[in-house]
Amino acid sequence: MTALKYTDNAIFLQGEILIDSVGPLISALEGFLRTHRDSELTIDLSGVPRIDSAGVALLDETLERAQAKGISVQYIHAREVVTKTLAAFSTKGLGTSAPPASISFFERAGGAAYGAARDLLDLLYLVADTLYFAAVGLVRRTGIRKGEFINQSILIGMNAFPIVALIAFLIGFILALQSAAQLRQFGASIFVADLVSISMTREMGPIMTAIVFAGRSGSSIASEIATMVVTEETDALKSMALNPVRYIVVPKFYAITLTMPLLTVLSMLIGIFGAMVIGYTYLDIGIAPFYRQVVDALVFRDIITGLVKSIVFAWIIVITGAYYGFRVKGGAEGVGKATTAAVVASVFLVILADSILGLIFYFGRGFKF
Amino acid sequence: MTTHEQTSPVVEVRNLTSGYDDKQILYDVSMTAPYHQITAILGSSGCGKTTLLKHLIRLYRPWSGSIELFGNEIITMDEPEFNAQLLKVGVLFQNGALLNSITVAENVAIPLSQHTQLPKNIINRLVKMKLRLVNLENAADLLPSELSGGMRKRAALARAIALDPPLLFCDEPSAGLDPAKAESLDRLILSLRSELGITVVVVSHAVPSILRIADRVVFMDDGRILFTGTLHEARTAELQAVDEFFAKGISQE
Repeated sequence: MTALKYTDNAIFLQGEILIDSVGPLISALEGFLRTHRDSELTIDLSGVPRIDSAGVALLDETLERAQAKGISVQYIHAREVVTKTLAAFSTKGLGTSAPPASISFFERAGGAAYGAARDLLDLLYLVADTLYFAAVGLVRRTGIRKGEFINQSILIGMNAFPIVALIAFLIGFILALQSAAQLRQFGASIFVADLVSISMTREMGPIMTAIVFAGRSGSSIASEIATMVVTEETDALKSMALNPVRYIVVPKFYAITLTMPLLTVLSMLIGIFGAMVIGYTYLDIGIAPFYRQVVDALVFRDIITGLVKSIVFAWIIVITGAYYGFRVKGGAEGVGKATTAAVVASVFLVILADSILGLIFYFGRGFKF
Repeated sequence: MTTHEQTSPVVEVRNLTSGYDDKQILYDVSMTAPYHQITAILGSSGCGKTTLLKHLIRLYRPWSGSIELFGNEIITMDEPEFNAQLLKVGVLFQNGALLNSITVAENVAIPLSQHTQLPKNIINRLVKMKLRLVNLENAADLLPSELSGGMRKRAALARAIALDPPLLFCDEPSAGLDPAKAESLDRLILSLRSELGITVVVVSHAVPSILRIADRVVFMDDGRILFTGTLHEARTAELQAVDEFFAKGISQE
């Protein structure tokens, strides 16, 4: 503990000034400075055997504060070890940094808008490049990573099958179960088949499959590309006259365009099967009547709209993953952020697209195909 | 030698000024690198030398100035033409920048399989040849993650010279290597110059390495060129920043 004695124009400090004792000392010195009338002040350090960096900071701060008030402070009679420490840790002239000038609301809004415009432009470039190279790549195989289409189809598509199947089955199952409880009351249990098959084909199949893909493939695409950017692998590709979009993204684009619609169709079927299980066990609907009801309820259009949605969702997922991957900033933390952003954005955009497509298909329902 | 080689440098930078967003990094940088010599771009960390190198392969676009490779201005070149130029340039990145999901041999084969019509067996032979040049014959089927830092750099060097480029850029080749490995990598670079006639531009702040390999030096400080000339001229020029750089570098050996 440091003791403070004072006379009219001098303060005598006694005891070690270490990090623990600085706190109380600050308020004491401050109080003293406030009431001090003279333009000079001496602080006697002869009673201080030891001081650490916190103590030095305190003394320097006191000196500068006093100077600001027009009081000139002198430290006197410091022991040799204290003088050495004062010299070693001196913070004189460093000053505390002024708080950064606050940015006005309009500046921030303008900056955000400008940044968003630039980001949108980058996204459009990526979309254009991806679609262009994907189209060109159908006829010319140069610049695309060899063997990668099969590899990615397995990783993105085939390996997703178990979880897509499980989720589809459960969704069909739950939809049937929940709707059965209501429909039963009207003796309309058989319409569970209609309800589930139309929901699975038009909405649940595409959406659930897309969300699984967004979580699995969206994140893996983003993290793979982000890691490649961080380790300069994309720079290396560019230095070998290879376009990273063409080399890395296009195989994934092909793979997801092929596998996601396939898995969506499978999820539709499995979902309907899940409902069939409920129908058979809980609603006493035989397999054949259930099947007939499904076939009657569905029109070609339901499945086509589901497939169109799944292709649009597939493209959204691969491009969003690539977009956040390429824009990564920083090291490992940046890769994590890019991955999270990709998944969140993919899910959001998929649902947004689902709404828009739903409206388009609804208002175009007179159009026969 | 072609007539261009006899009269002009392979790399010529004139008044390059650049940066990103609001921050300027290069201030009116001009330099040349002559054919068949090893030119070292030196300076302390943060002086802009890696940024300059990345401009030379058009990974960054400058605010103003001109860059010529093989006598051709590259900043305004369209992409197919520039890609053709890139095939004459090999780049060794600081951490190798090998593709981590494929083997060493597959990495070295990328330029060969993408840019030539050579059959597979010839490509395999070429890959083994380049790996032998860098003493990595036995690592052909390993993944980059299974290699040490020094081996990764050598594998990346093998990839950089896959197409026999007349020009090689190296970004901090000895960074992260112990003195023995750094020396053997330097000897490799020297042999590329003497046996294959490759022109090398090295970015480095490792003085022992520079003293071993550089013919010419370009000394940078804070984004500006302080000195260009031969290594001997640099050491006798009595420029304080240059002398300090060499003195500190040697004393750390």
